[in-house]
Amino acid sequence: MRLRLSTVLVYLLVGVYTLLVALPIVWMFLSSTKTMRELFTAPFALPSDPQWSNFIRAWESGISHYLANSLLVTSVSVILIVLVSALAAYSLARINFPGRVFIYLLLIAGFAIPVHTVLVPLYRTLNGVNLINTHVGLILPYVAFGIPFSILLLYAFFLEFPAEIEDAARIDGCTIWQLVIQIVMPLSMPALVSVIIFQAVFLWNEFSLALIVIRDDALRTIPLGLTKFQGQWSTNWTLMLASLSMATLPVLLLFVILQRHFIRSLVGFSK
Amino acid sequence: MTDSLQTHKPLATTRRTRVSARQKREWLDGYVLVAPAIILFVLLVVYPMFSTIYLSLFDYGLTDARIRFVGLGNFVDLTQDAVFWRSLRNNLTILVVSVIVQVGLGLILAALIDRGIRWGKGLARTLNFAPVVMSAVAVGILWQLIYDPTVGLANHFVRAIGLTPPTQGWLGDPNIVIYSILVVACWQYTGYVMIIILAGMQSVSQELYEAAEIDGATELRKFFHITLPSIRNVNIAVILITMIGAIKVFDLVYILTRGGPANASQVMGTYIYYNAFTVNQAGYASAISVVLLVFALVLGFLQLRLSYRPREDA
Repeated sequence: MRLRLSTVLVYLLVGVYTLLVALPIVWMFLSSTKTMRELFTAPFALPSDPQWSNFIRAWESGISHYLANSLLVTSVSVILIVLVSALAAYSLARINFPGRVFIYLLLIAGFAIPVHTVLVPLYRTLNGVNLINTHVGLILPYVAFGIPFSILLLYAFFLEFPAEIEDAARIDGCTIWQLVIQIVMPLSMPALVSVIIFQAVFLWNEFSLALIVIRDDALRTIPLGLTKFQGQWSTNWTLMLASLSMATLPVLLLFVILQRHFIRSLVGFSK
Repeated sequence: MTDSLQTHKPLATTRRTRVSARQKREWLDGYVLVAPAIILFVLLVVYPMFSTIYLSLFDYGLTDARIRFVGLGNFVDLTQDAVFWRSLRNNLTILVVSVIVQVGLGLILAALIDRGIRWGKGLARTLNFAPVVMSAVAVGILWQLIYDPTVGLANHFVRAIGLTPPTQGWLGDPNIVIYSILVVACWQYTGYVMIIILAGMQSVSQELYEAAEIDGATELRKFFHITLPSIRNVNIAVILITMIGAIKVFDLVYILTRGGPANASQVMGTYIYYNAFTVNQAGYASAISVVLLVFALVLGFLQLRLSYRPREDA
């Protein structure tokens, strides 16, 4: 084959940039099983004697609770987001009731409201109903803020849902709930998967709301838990990096396995 | 169609009520299905939004529950608050640099990968996208170690290419701290922009390129005359997404510097948090929130309008 200078240059440019992007992550994982001395003397060498005890110590210092909390909060929130948004998006896309356009625009406009602009009133409201420092107090706003984007995505999908299937289900005597939950949703998996991945990644990483809602160490989600180590292990880098690795590994692994779905979901909006 | 169903009902009036009763039931279904979303959304998004605007007119504290009407006093104070101007300016710096670097670099990389690379395309995509799925908190802590003023990787790297690292540290020097934060933001999100643009490029018709090749066009000419015009909407969308991200930034700054040193890296998001939850000035924080809200709503509105257009054009 012809090997032109420009081709070599292109590979070099893309390769070097990609390496620069990958380096911090590689360093994080490599360092997480090193000793402090090795971390500084050979930052990019493989650990000569992997210190798995770093992971065990991080796990026992709270990471296990934080992961469990994140798993709970994220999964409950995502399930609720999908259910509530699918019902609403179906109604807006397929049922011609008065006020439909207004409701749609209202819900969609919420997409633009950053959570940071409502931290004060949210704190006040949640405090008023004793939901500060509870997982419910975190899940409720997560669901509310997840609704606009999910409806936007599902609405577009439901618009093209075949009417024949709906009609057949209606003739069989399906109620509207059965129709949406048992027939429309299972047949809309690609759209639902997109919503699930997008919201799951976002909520797994969410920090601002968790910062104002959660107080107890036992209730912290992963990002909030990491900030505790930030102070505690500011000089114990290997433990810090082991915690970061454990916190990041679940999402990175899922991303590598489900890459196609991840990319479609996370860039979907602009397409 | 309706007539054949209605033949047994001779009276037009009963017929009309039957139809409208059925329609009403359908409407009711519609409202019931949309109700959970509306209730949650109004209680936890819309109401707080108006509440923020309302609270911005008060001297209000979350912990001592003091509340005193001050009219536009908070906004007057804002105009004289150097830290607020600093944070606004930092948001705008982040916005401008992010758009130039992330979209510029993302565009170049996407073009190189799309047109110049055959092997390792998938790998390049995976590696560049990986930081996007990490939490800003993990990324921030990781980079705090990299930026360590004595033993961090950044210092090693800079020395290796023959430069001297900043004496006050990457995050300790008020003159460069915002750019140090920007390096991290660009590190995390250029891959995101690149992937979106790449997806846009892959839907550009190959025939256009082939025709241009027959005319002997160079790759550079093809980029400017075929690629760029074809992905115009994608580029505008990415620029808006990047701008919105820059206006909303909070996590990364909070983790890396808490807005310091001496407020040098304060942005609106962190300054809101600082006022509301650190110094108990929730009314003042609400006034800053209103400013941030205006920026976000304008940009968000543009983004929503744009997201419909490609479908109509195509």
